[in-house]
Amino acid sequence: MEKQHDSYLRIKRKFISWILTALVVSGAVLMLMPFIWMFLTSLKRPEEILRVPLTFLPDRLFNLQNYFEIFKRQPFHLYLWNTFFVSGVSTITSLIFSSMAGYGFAKFNFPGKEFWFFSIICILMVPFQAIVIPLYQWVVQFGLINTYIGLMIPHFISAFGVFLMREAIANIPNDYIDAARIDGSSEIGIFFRIILPMVKPSLAALAIIKFLWTWNEFFWPLVITNSEEMKVITLGLASFNTMYYIEHNLATAGAMVSIVPILILYLAFQRWMVKAVVMSGVKG
Amino acid sequence: MLKRERIRGLRRKLLGSTLAGWQKRIGFAFVLPTILYFLMVYFYPLFQSIRLSFYEGGMGRPERFVGLKPYEMVFTDLFFWQTVRNTLYFVILSVPMTVTLALGVALLLNRIINHRFRDILSATYFMPLVISLVAAALIWGWIYQPIYGLANFILSFFGIKPQKWLSSISQVIPSLATINIWLRVGFDTVIFLAALQSIPEKLQEAAKIDGARDSQVFRYVTLPLLNNQIIMVLIIELIFAFKVFDQVFVTTEGGPANASRVIMMYLYDSAFKWFKFGEASVVAVFIFTSLLAISVIQWVFLRKTAY
Repeated sequence: MEKQHDSYLRIKRKFISWILTALVVSGAVLMLMPFIWMFLTSLKRPEEILRVPLTFLPDRLFNLQNYFEIFKRQPFHLYLWNTFFVSGVSTITSLIFSSMAGYGFAKFNFPGKEFWFFSIICILMVPFQAIVIPLYQWVVQFGLINTYIGLMIPHFISAFGVFLMREAIANIPNDYIDAARIDGSSEIGIFFRIILPMVKPSLAALAIIKFLWTWNEFFWPLVITNSEEMKVITLGLASFNTMYYIEHNLATAGAMVSIVPILILYLAFQRWMVKAVVMSGVKG
Repeated sequence: MLKRERIRGLRRKLLGSTLAGWQKRIGFAFVLPTILYFLMVYFYPLFQSIRLSFYEGGMGRPERFVGLKPYEMVFTDLFFWQTVRNTLYFVILSVPMTVTLALGVALLLNRIINHRFRDILSATYFMPLVISLVAAALIWGWIYQPIYGLANFILSFFGIKPQKWLSSISQVIPSLATINIWLRVGFDTVIFLAALQSIPEKLQEAAKIDGARDSQVFRYVTLPLLNNQIIMVLIIELIFAFKVFDQVFVTTEGGPANASRVIMMYLYDSAFKWFKFGEASVVAVFIFTSLLAISVIQWVFLRKTAY
């Protein structure tokens, strides 16, 4: 009797556990649904998406017509290049200057150190929209509207990066630096040959997050560019929706083009990317 | 041998002392570009934002000091308060739901023993976080399409009549909030999951041995241990939702009939559509101080609850 009750409980437990797993898996499928739907729609012809009731799969699975079409309609290749260039350059400058500042704050003493570090941390709490108007005036004044410099101005150095690099560099034992100094290394040499190689994981995290942020940025490019040639990918995407009639087959193809590079990055560096996004989200 | 050591020590000492002043300058040189940059690109504009909120004028028009007039203009504008209401409605619908769902998902994921499987699942929940809000808005705009959209198609299986979603005054904010939940749930899940995994299993087992039911273990053991994470995540989501702009701009542009016009759109419109920099700066200051207040509350809370 006792034994039977036990096995009954065990089966019940197993059943519940199975149900709970199924629940979380179906949740994940639900999360994927918009991605799948976007992909499928991007393969459909205009008349296919206007069916009631809708059909899930495209009539021809490898219909890439929409992808050719978006590059014909708008200079999408230019948008991609602009976005890549702006994201790439601001990632590199962020890496250099944030780690330099991180090194300065972590390993040196100079008057006002605490004050400046605290000030930079405070920037993390300032929403970008709180400074966008004067920054815009500033950019207009210097004639930087519709330029790469204008697009990159708020992205050159990341406050989060300074914070991240300071934490990482502070963990390096001073002995390494002292030893290098005694060996006669220059300060610049110490920075590049001793410090940077030791904080590679943090540099990678910063590079990923910075690139991702700039790639996905919308508000600032919206404000600062109005010419076709200087648009970034998010603006190109948004322009699908400002038209009176939205061609969803093209819009989804455009979205796919903008997302795929990021998704490849995500699949390759999934763990790091999750970590980097969470870290920056928590601090920023 | 000993002599050598002593010489080395002496050398280090000497170098160190001569380096002290030199070192200060080196250290400052490393941070100087960053400090200058932030002064120019963040601090000066922030100060300017506050100054501009007391001025009238915009592109081409001369700036003129008008005192509190822009504040009066904004705070007596019923339209402004409507955008505040819309934003708060959006926040209330999306934030608690996101956090609750994330907690549920994290608890379920935490039960899964197979690491590989769990990682794949949590990466799936996280996926919307890496794409741009604009792309997300485009996808969802299509899903919500009233005639050909996926949302109504799925509802039809349950015998529910087609809804108007983004083009309905009463449904637009809930629909936008749904997008936000989809976007953010993975972020909170990852934080909760990390916290759950750091809780020693012994604690829960001990409670079970003492005869606690699963729900009691959750209520009296697990939940209190997640307190800090819950507050942290709530604040992060609150700030994120308060600043909502991209999705709304792309999907509805504030419509229908301003039902989804949020506070950031008010700022954007007054600054870059009508070039009323004074009033726009008032909104900027308003947003800044609101978020600052939230951050201060978080700080106070976390200090209180930490031990």
